[in-house]
Amino acid sequence: MIEPVFLEYTNALDEGFKLVPALTIVGMMLLFLGIGFFFRVAAVDDLWVAGRSIGSIENGMAIGANWMSAASYLGVAALIATAGYYGVGFVVGWTTGYFILLIFMAAQFRRFGKYTAPDFVGDRFYSDRARGIAAFTTLVIALVYAIGQGSGMGLMAEYILGVSYEAGVIVFMAVTVAYVALSGMLGATKNMAIQYVILILAFLIGLYAVGLSQGWSTVLPYIEAGPETAQLIDAFHAEFAEPFAVNSFYMWTALVVSLILGTCGLPHVLVRFYTVDNERTARWSTVWGLFFICLLYWGTATYAVFGGLLYSDPVQDTDTAVTLGEADSFMQMPGADGDALVALTVQLADMPEWLVGLVAAGAVAAALATTAGLFISASSAAAHDIYTNLYKTDATQREQMIVGRTTILLIGVLTAIIALNPPALIGEMVAMSFAIAACVFFPVFFLGLWWENATQEGGIAGMLAGILISFGAIANDTAIPMYTGVEGAVSTELATIVPGLGSALVGVPVVFAVIIVVSLVTENPPEDVKRLVRQCHSPEPMEKLQSAEDAAADDD
Amino acid sequence: MGDNEPQTDGGTATGREGAQTVDYLDEEINLFKPATPFMRDNLKAIFGLFGLWLLFVFGPPVASYVAPEFMFETRVLGGYPLNFFLSAIVTPAAGLVLCAVYAWYRDRLDEKYDITHEAEAESGAATAADGGEQ
Repeated sequence: MIEPVFLEYTNALDEGFKLVPALTIVGMMLLFLGIGFFFRVAAVDDLWVAGRSIGSIENGMAIGANWMSAASYLGVAALIATAGYYGVGFVVGWTTGYFILLIFMAAQFRRFGKYTAPDFVGDRFYSDRARGIAAFTTLVIALVYAIGQGSGMGLMAEYILGVSYEAGVIVFMAVTVAYVALSGMLGATKNMAIQYVILILAFLIGLYAVGLSQGWSTVLPYIEAGPETAQLIDAFHAEFAEPFAVNSFYMWTALVVSLILGTCGLPHVLVRFYTVDNERTARWSTVWGLFFICLLYWGTATYAVFGGLLYSDPVQDTDTAVTLGEADSFMQMPGADGDALVALTVQLADMPEWLVGLVAAGAVAAALATTAGLFISASSAAAHDIYTNLYKTDATQREQMIVGRTTILLIGVLTAIIALNPPALIGEMVAMSFAIAACVFFPVFFLGLWWENATQEGGIAGMLAGILISFGAIANDTAIPMYTGVEGAVSTELATIVPGLGSALVGVPVVFAVIIVVSLVTENPPEDVKRLVRQCHSPEPMEKLQSAEDAAADDD
Repeated sequence: MGDNEPQTDGGTATGREGAQTVDYLDEEINLFKPATPFMRDNLKAIFGLFGLWLLFVFGPPVASYVAPEFMFETRVLGGYPLNFFLSAIVTPAAGLVLCAVYAWYRDRLDEKYDITHEAEAESGAATAADGGEQ
């Protein structure tokens, strides 16, 4: 766990309004919307006609785009630069989790055919109350996830628009809400593959440019930064790579386990498996998706190395690297500089303004697109799963729409308010939402799919226990200290065992135990639910638009 | 993985038979008690690859915990400390390779149990036909 610090959110990027970078962002967003509109006009079914191999590569890119938020784009490099080997844990957790998702869940989810978390939980645990708890958790995950994105947008706005961090957060959050409204109207969710290509290009062009201009790397910067890593360690900061210099082995493991299991529990990741035409494509999409994700994640360590060197020793002496803010890490780097490091690296290497702008614009576009997706999932959870299902079963379309839009507006405002003074670094905020997903959703997904005797009482009790543990851990070492002025954590002992970023190491086994014990003492699930679970694992193909429910019912 | 391959070839005929007689909707799903030959084959791969995955993900940090000096002082590719290089570059790559191996293995299993995803509509009808009540 990294102690929550009150950061002066100003970073070392040059300020002042920059036209070209600002236009780059506008251009990217228009392109996303435009392509979405184009694909809506073209028949959507044509998308998959091109053949199966294209289907899985394209869907793999969509998985990559989904994954590429400000946390991947900016946050991971920041954490490696400020937390060393502990930060590398974010790379491990946010890539290898896909393997667990693949072997245990991807194809089964495809067969189940329900693509939102509340839908799955509601059907599998045959309970509207369970569905309500899942919807509530979806809302919280969207909020926590979005706070990190807001923080990234604010930092980049300082560079691109030359406004203060606070103004940047507010401006871009307003843009996001408008983008959600527009993309909803234009059906702009079909453009994820193109979005991925643009974002990865912006990220990699910066990396290649820095490597080439400094003579550090040529074609494969990922594995060419060895001498620079050694130089950074020997000349400046050994903590950069020394094992467990910043956080203990236990903390590392807790973090990685949380991120891995969180990957398997995040609602917006699962949606991607519904859009493929069969479970074989679901499997190969995961492989391609992980490949596209790795292209970015391998680069985060390289960015941290290049950025660390340039930060300690900029190309031009006039570039003042160290700025306002408490430099609380070994790198002498304030949190805001860390979170801006990817763009800052390009600037410190004395690259032209348009190039720095391109990298910064990529970060904003990544944050914005992810936030838009989160807001859409939050609005559907509120409108369909909570309002209509639990509160007013005969709600009209119009009522649902009003509830959905109000939710987006409220969550946008709330995100902006919290992001004005973010409680943690971007990557840490997002990691907290992973810890919640791991504790609340992973156990019900996993046992729901792999143990047909898991009952509704077990599922509900398990989710409540998961909420208690993951929320409690975050309140203990981040939320309460942040807003009450308690130093460090309410209970330091608790924070070292169940850290807010890594509550799943303790939380998931506890929740598994709760679900299993409660399921054993309550009445078995009805036969049709059991058949539903079996249908998810059957190797026999289903029709394209069939869900497990239909297939199991056909059979009777 | 390696020792599954001979069985895969040898078991083709019985596997096909199995696929026609097993009603997957009547067999209990339990992670540790696979009820069908298909599930047994699938779980064999799942647990085998899962073991390798554990090694690649947690091997480097455990080694760094046990022998911090060695992992940090050993430099690879011109200067990366071993622990840093393994976790930041090799572990994600290993995850990727393991995913590809599993996806490939499942394609082989599909062949063995005579499952095709090509003609969705036809086989969908077949599911309903041979899956009826006994």
